Amino acid sequence: MRISLVGILLCAAWVTRLAWGQAAADDESAMPEFTPDQGATANAVMEETAEFRTLDEDIQDLKKLVLDLNRDLFLLEEELLFPANTQVAVFVSMDVGEFFGLDSVSVTLDNKDVANYLYTAREADALLRGGVHQVYLGNMRAGEHELVAIFSGEGSHDRDYRRGATVVFEKGIGPKYIELIISDREQKLQPEFVVKEWE
Amino acid sequence: MRLPGALLSVLILGLPGIGTGLAALHLSGAQAPDFVLKSISGENIRLSEYRGQVVVLSFWAKWCGDCRAQLAGLNEMYSLYREAGFEVIAVSMDRDIDDARETAEAVEVSYPVLFDQGREVSQLYDISSTPMILMIDREGVVREVIEGYRRGTEEEYLDRVRALLRE
Repeated sequence: MRISLVGILLCAAWVTRLAWGQAAADDESAMPEFTPDQGATANAVMEETAEFRTLDEDIQDLKKLVLDLNRDLFLLEEELLFPANTQVAVFVSMDVGEFFGLDSVSVTLDNKDVANYLYTAREADALLRGGVHQVYLGNMRAGEHELVAIFSGEGSHDRDYRRGATVVFEKGIGPKYIELIISDREQKLQPEFVVKEWE
Repeated sequence: MRLPGALLSVLILGLPGIGTGLAALHLSGAQAPDFVLKSISGENIRLSEYRGQVVVLSFWAKWCGDCRAQLAGLNEMYSLYREAGFEVIAVSMDRDIDDARETAEAVEVSYPVLFDQGREVSQLYDISSTPMILMIDREGVVREVIEGYRRGTEEEYLDRVRALLRE
């Protein structure tokens, strides 16, 4: 039974192939013949198209070069303004966000307000989708520093929610990256604000 | 005692917010400075998120009589062209958010009304008088700065908005 089924399938494939071949032959015979004049015009059109394509490629290459240059300039500028050895960057990230709708984040470094950022619904959504926002980038000398982050937003039951998180960190020779993580504490049905240091 | 006409005009034009005190004019042709403000309904609105749409940015205050008429006029324009990619953002320069809310409710505005309590955005845009509107194209460039409001000029506004929408 199995053998006969395979046989039928093979036959069907052979018939289809034969029909395909015939159709291709018909198509070829139906193609018009080109006269030398038509050939010359076609060649000219093809050359013109090729020229345009080259020009388009050149433009694309130029655009890419400009973008690359812009990126290099940006990196150089950042390196100059915020040298790696004094650089401190603060990032905000969000995980789940069931119990907290982010509205704003204020950052204080050594009792000095350095950032106050209002998040739009779109930005908060981007954070929930895994985005990370650089809320502050600045320079600090090596040594001990204190960071206070105030998170404002909407807690559960649509209540206004405001919480702070403090961290005392040691700034070494290299750059310092600090991440402010907003996540859900499922057991307590409350949001959790964690400050994480990256080297 | 009569003041000479020239001196009188100098005095009048020199007063802030009257006549040629169009400080925001220098923004015409430049990229509209980005900002984020809280709206009277609670959400945060960032101007750059409206890129791709024609935006009319209106600066107003409760104490300014013409502002109310302008807000109502903009309301009609907004309902007409909203679907075509037209947005209105009204920035209140009132000190008290309740004043802004009260006026917005009285005029029944259907577009976002932002509250510039610290006057940071008004300073950013160099607003010296009210009402003042800025027309911003889809690329985020300030195309027109219009000071003051006269009843019956809605059609002029509409023509300008239509031209920007067509681009």
